[in-house]
Amino acid sequence: MQLVMMNNVVFGYGDSPCLEDVNIEIRSGEFVAVTGPNGASKTTLLKLILGLLEPWSGEVARARKRADGSTLVAGYVPQQIASFNSGFPSKVSEFVLSGTYGRGSWLRRTNQEDLRLVEESLRQVGMWEHRNRKIGELSGGQKQRICLARALAQQPNLLALDEPSTGMDTQSRTEMYERLSEMVKRKGLTVVMVTHELPDAEPYLDRIIRLERKEAMGWKCCTTTSCRGHFSPAGLSR
Amino acid sequence: MLHYDFMQRAFFAGGIIAMIASALGVYLMLRRQALMADMLSHVSLAGVAAGALMKGSPPLTGFAVAVIGAIVVEYVRRSYKTYSEVSIAIIMIGGLSTAVVLMSMNSGINRSFSSYLFGSVVAVRQTELILIAAVAIVGALFFYLFRKPLYLMTFDEETAKANGVPVHLVSLLFSIVTGMIVAAAMPIVGVLLVSSLIVLPAALAIRLAPSFNAALLLAMLIGVVGVFGGLSASYGMSTPPGGTIALTLLVMLVSGMTIRKAVAKINKLRNKKNADSRLAKQTEDIGALRQEKPMLH
Repeated sequence: MQLVMMNNVVFGYGDSPCLEDVNIEIRSGEFVAVTGPNGASKTTLLKLILGLLEPWSGEVARARKRADGSTLVAGYVPQQIASFNSGFPSKVSEFVLSGTYGRGSWLRRTNQEDLRLVEESLRQVGMWEHRNRKIGELSGGQKQRICLARALAQQPNLLALDEPSTGMDTQSRTEMYERLSEMVKRKGLTVVMVTHELPDAEPYLDRIIRLERKEAMGWKCCTTTSCRGHFSPAGLSR
Repeated sequence: MLHYDFMQRAFFAGGIIAMIASALGVYLMLRRQALMADMLSHVSLAGVAAGALMKGSPPLTGFAVAVIGAIVVEYVRRSYKTYSEVSIAIIMIGGLSTAVVLMSMNSGINRSFSSYLFGSVVAVRQTELILIAAVAIVGALFFYLFRKPLYLMTFDEETAKANGVPVHLVSLLFSIVTGMIVAAAMPIVGVLLVSSLIVLPAALAIRLAPSFNAALLLAMLIGVVGVFGGLSASYGMSTPPGGTIALTLLVMLVSGMTIRKAVAKINKLRNKKNADSRLAKQTEDIGALRQEKPMLH
């Protein structure tokens, strides 16, 4: 099932475009990495995928319902979000619980299912033991992990991660990729991850979207490479 | 002092506004909009001046202008996303300069202006009391009904948007509620000190509270204690209520932060002492083992 389809998308800041001729699709149940040099508009591409930015021209089609008819849920972990909120007066468990706020009405009271999701998400990222600590007391890597746990508590169908491994050591990074890969396989989760750590992540990926500069025009465009051969590159990129 | 009607009204209004303003302060501080209260109070001064000039009701025109200012600041903030404090400076300049020009056009207004600038317990009349009670009900309902989207937005607006929160709408409603609370708080502490009632309890609560809900409750408690303490001191010493309340809250903030630092230092020393004694015991045990070993052979 197609979750996101981008056709001839152009986007920029100010007067000049930073992304041009973008033609990609994100399918259900794949683990995709977005990579490219600094300033290649990787984060911008992720925001276009999520609908946080509107393209100048072209089309971004997003699925609103899943195959079973239920509403599609997107989880998002922005780049180094936690480091900007170190003084935020919240406990880890309280912060992760906010991931469940999107389930049903805002007026709904917290129930046992929400608490179960919090526990499950925190265990998945190895932070259950830290549930009663204040988020400001955590290290950079731990903050990234609880941000991931919050996104997982949403029970997303599409998980968009912007440099999620920032501040993590190699072992934590590998563990995170293993867990994400397992969720992609077992639960059919779709992961789109902006990363610079491609060698570490590559064994777990289905596909890589590379942002490359078109030297002659000064534009950037997308090319895709199949990692595991699950998807045909010809079918994914023009 | 509570046998005076005006003091009863001041305590009643002060208690209500302290609770709602302190809760608002937690959100404003965490959204990095701590100066917004200050800005809106200055803008509402233009409304007060316009009301007096047009022979209308200054409290009501001040209230209306504060709400309009809050809506304007929300739109300007979106234009200056990275430097949101610029929007505050722009609106504050606009509001204050308008107030000064309007005041110059009405020479008889200056005397009554001091009560708006510095606050006055006798300024809390029936109209203000009804306004404060209505604002408190609207504010409390807003903070309760929107507690989940507000939490998400306060942490990060972009993530909240990705989670399906209508960020622009909730942000606009938040700004309107802010304008209403600021305008309602003005008679108690005055234009110049209204931000003290909003920012100081929140500043202390955020540092002390273990969780978000605890920060909200603690800020409300600090606000009420500060306002009641300030009003009592103001009555006893015949000092302006606005300044006395602000000073009381400031003393509470400084004392709270000092105690917190002292407790942290004591805990650090205690931990160091425990670690040292553990190390000494381990060294002692190793020494004892070394002495025992030859005897075993």
